[in-house]
Amino acid sequence: MKGRYEKIGTILILLLPSLFVFKGGYLQEVTGYVYLFLIQGYVAWFLFFKSGQPFFGYSVTMAIGAYATIVLTEMFQWPLFVSIFIGAVLATVIAVIMFLSTSRARGFYVSMASFLLAILFPKLIEALQPITGGRSGLYFGGLTALVGYKTLYLLVIFLTAAIVAFFLWIMGTKTGRILTLISENDRLTQTVGLNTRKYKILAYSIAGFISGFGGALYVNYTGFISSVDIEVFTTLYIFFIPLIGGSKVFYGPVLGALFVILIPELLVPVERYLRIFFGLIFILVIVLLPEGLAPNIQKLLRKMNPKRA
Amino acid sequence: MSEPILEVSGLTACYGMISALKGIGFYVNDNEIVGIVGPNGAGKTTLLESIAGSMHIKEGQINFLGHQIERWPVLKRRQLGLMLVPQEGNIFPLMSVKKNLEVSVILSNRAKKEELIDRVYKLFPVLWEKRRQIANTLSGGQQKMLAVGIGIASNAKVMLIDEPSIGLAPKLVTKLFETLKKIKEDTRTTIVLSEQNIKVLNIADRLFGLEAGEIRFDEKTENLSRDVVKDLYLGSIS
Amino acid sequence: MILNGIITGLIMGGILSLPVLGVAVIYGITGIPNFAIGVIGVFGGFLTWYFLSFNMGIAILVGVVFCFAIGYIIQRILLTPISERGGDSTLFFIVTVSLGFVFEGLMRAIFPRPSISLALPRIGTINIAGVTVEGFKIFALLFALGTLVIIRLLEEHTEIGKSWQATSQNLKLAKLIGIKTNRVFSIASGIGCALACVGAIFWGSLYNLNLMTGWDLGFLGFIIAVVGGIGNIWGGIISALIMGMVMSFSGYLLGGMWQSVILYFIVILVLIVAPKGILGSERSL
Ligand SMILES: Nc1ncnc2c1ncn2[C@@H]1O[C@H](COP(=O)(O)OP(=O)(O)OP(=O)(O)O)[C@@H](O)[C@H]1O
Ligand SMILES: [Mg+2]
Repeated sequence: MKGRYEKIGTILILLLPSLFVFKGGYLQEVTGYVYLFLIQGYVAWFLFFKSGQPFFGYSVTMAIGAYATIVLTEMFQWPLFVSIFIGAVLATVIAVIMFLSTSRARGFYVSMASFLLAILFPKLIEALQPITGGRSGLYFGGLTALVGYKTLYLLVIFLTAAIVAFFLWIMGTKTGRILTLISENDRLTQTVGLNTRKYKILAYSIAGFISGFGGALYVNYTGFISSVDIEVFTTLYIFFIPLIGGSKVFYGPVLGALFVILIPELLVPVERYLRIFFGLIFILVIVLLPEGLAPNIQKLLRKMNPKRA
Repeated sequence: MSEPILEVSGLTACYGMISALKGIGFYVNDNEIVGIVGPNGAGKTTLLESIAGSMHIKEGQINFLGHQIERWPVLKRRQLGLMLVPQEGNIFPLMSVKKNLEVSVILSNRAKKEELIDRVYKLFPVLWEKRRQIANTLSGGQQKMLAVGIGIASNAKVMLIDEPSIGLAPKLVTKLFETLKKIKEDTRTTIVLSEQNIKVLNIADRLFGLEAGEIRFDEKTENLSRDVVKDLYLGSIS
Repeated sequence: MILNGIITGLIMGGILSLPVLGVAVIYGITGIPNFAIGVIGVFGGFLTWYFLSFNMGIAILVGVVFCFAIGYIIQRILLTPISERGGDSTLFFIVTVSLGFVFEGLMRAIFPRPSISLALPRIGTINIAGVTVEGFKIFALLFALGTLVIIRLLEEHTEIGKSWQATSQNLKLAKLIGIKTNRVFSIASGIGCALACVGAIFWGSLYNLNLMTGWDLGFLGFIIAVVGGIGNIWGGIISALIMGMVMSFSGYLLGGMWQSVILYFIVILVLIVAPKGILGSERSL
């Protein structure tokens, strides 16, 4: 397998920023943030683009992981790791329920139902203000208090790399190939005699679990979450991470996460205009670069360095 | 003989990797009925759709009334006087017969409109009887007549009709073909029709034989031997 | 209280039927689900609010015309080209939602307040079976119903209306007989957005408009239109009125915060349970 070294290389590169821990400060903080969204980006890459499941509830699964962790540890005094685990399981359950309940409907309805759930969820958080803090949010010591900020940063880096490695691995297995088949032609896969429903449930479970776990990690790292963080915009934002980077290639989400997180960091003074900016970028990407950045960057590299190609 | 009013040269068209037309040359003279014959999958529909502009072509020229129209959108070709009655989806299914005809005269001026619709009703009295009925509740044959009626109502200089006889009873086919001939004579319309029915020999001035995306012959009808055409290019339905 | 709730529900439903009609016009004619129309409509509502102190008539005109223009332009330069390249519903979903975020962002950036309410002149009160109702609310309801009837008449009896129907029933044939289908699309999109704007203006003068209202109107409008059956105007009105009742009573019983939670919950349930629409739709998804 030729792609193998490239994949291992990608994972190693993903591990490199752990060196930032020596420098600390802003660079480290932003990198951790990029990685937390990278996890979600890979979930979208896996579920939407590789398995062909029209799901738009990434902010919901992420939020469930995050809020469950806080509520269980702070209110019910459960041990942190148990809470994180339960949070991830809850996110899995929601994702699978979403799939099962919409499995009779056609693709577009599933997109819409999950997107509506993404609109509903922050409203629910606000309605549950006494527990969740609503708009004003909740603060959370969690792992930061337990292991310290630097260790947590390293943990985020390593876990992200491990999750990415897991996704790359699973797409190479038989399960992954069947999911690819399902995304290309669902009917045909069924007629071949495969139980596609089982594989789809598996895909939703994996995606839900990792997204929920990523959400738990997120709130441990940032130490704060409010309904504003999980607004419906977030789900689109996550969805576009693989799309902008290039959904066909395995390192697409990496490029995409760099793009969607770093650009706003560079554009701090115009934060007011962020939605306009992203909305336009999203539309432009779909219209002009439906393959995402990756193939175009490759083309550019080839142009600059014709001998390598 | 005068210049052809419609001339196609070097026409190539593809569906993905499959090429359906491989460099076709084709022409139509003024006030002619031209038949395109060929087995299923020969490329008849593809040729007609390419001329009308609803199919994107890869290469080739289409000249109509002295204009190079191969890059023109459907609408512009229509305004110049080309009209296609497609093989399928050739009526507005949820409108009444009357309304179907009323929208089809959209490009004509007010006085002409009534005249055109009247002409259709005269040619197809059954459409007049059923004028209030919703189009998709008509029988298959009646729907076909409505489709041709829409073509006639559009008052085009050149009318392209894709397999008008398919699904019609033999008697109706004869009648439809007579009607087409009458239209040609009365209104000096030029008609191009793709056909698999042998009766096309009775009305066409010339026939083009199309097979596997290539032109096999181009002959005046009187020079053609019935049996050769029948065996090679037409279905067994007669 | 029950009568009060019913009347409030009728009025909410009536106003809601305007964006529903907008969705139905756009989706019925172009086949493109546009989720941005609510946000665009509310943007128009904000514009009207901005110019209101200047002159009411002009302010309303500015909002409505602006929305029509925006609808026309986005259809022309963005949505029609994408559909010609063969875009599917999911793609349009993503594109129009992104578009919605652009307009939401513009609202945040341009207008000084994130939540407004429009002070349109009131027209006294009317007494119905012991319940006092503001005349303006009745006016809003009648206006909405009148618009529905007018659109319906236009569609049935004018040349333009017929070419709309033709375009929605058989796009290819419509092109072949010489209808300027791209223009039909653009106008339909413009009208849809303008209707959403009128809906937003009424909504904003009876309740209030904020950055999320646009999404609510857009998505609720879409679901109601689907449930009622796209192209089935009466189905649309009935389901709009039912949704209005649901909103009104959930507002009474549960209070503001929970109202929209319940609403979205119901909407998701409807999507799951009856994806083909309750009265059956011609253009099923
Ligand atoms: N939408 C399509 N996608 C792929 N291939 C197509 C498509 N339409 C036609 N073809 C292919 O192009 C070739 C020509 O088809 P076309 O429809 O022009 O034939 P035809 O002569 O009209 O046949 P028929 O008499 O059955 O209508 C055929 O081989 C057909 O399989
Ligand atoms: Mg054919």
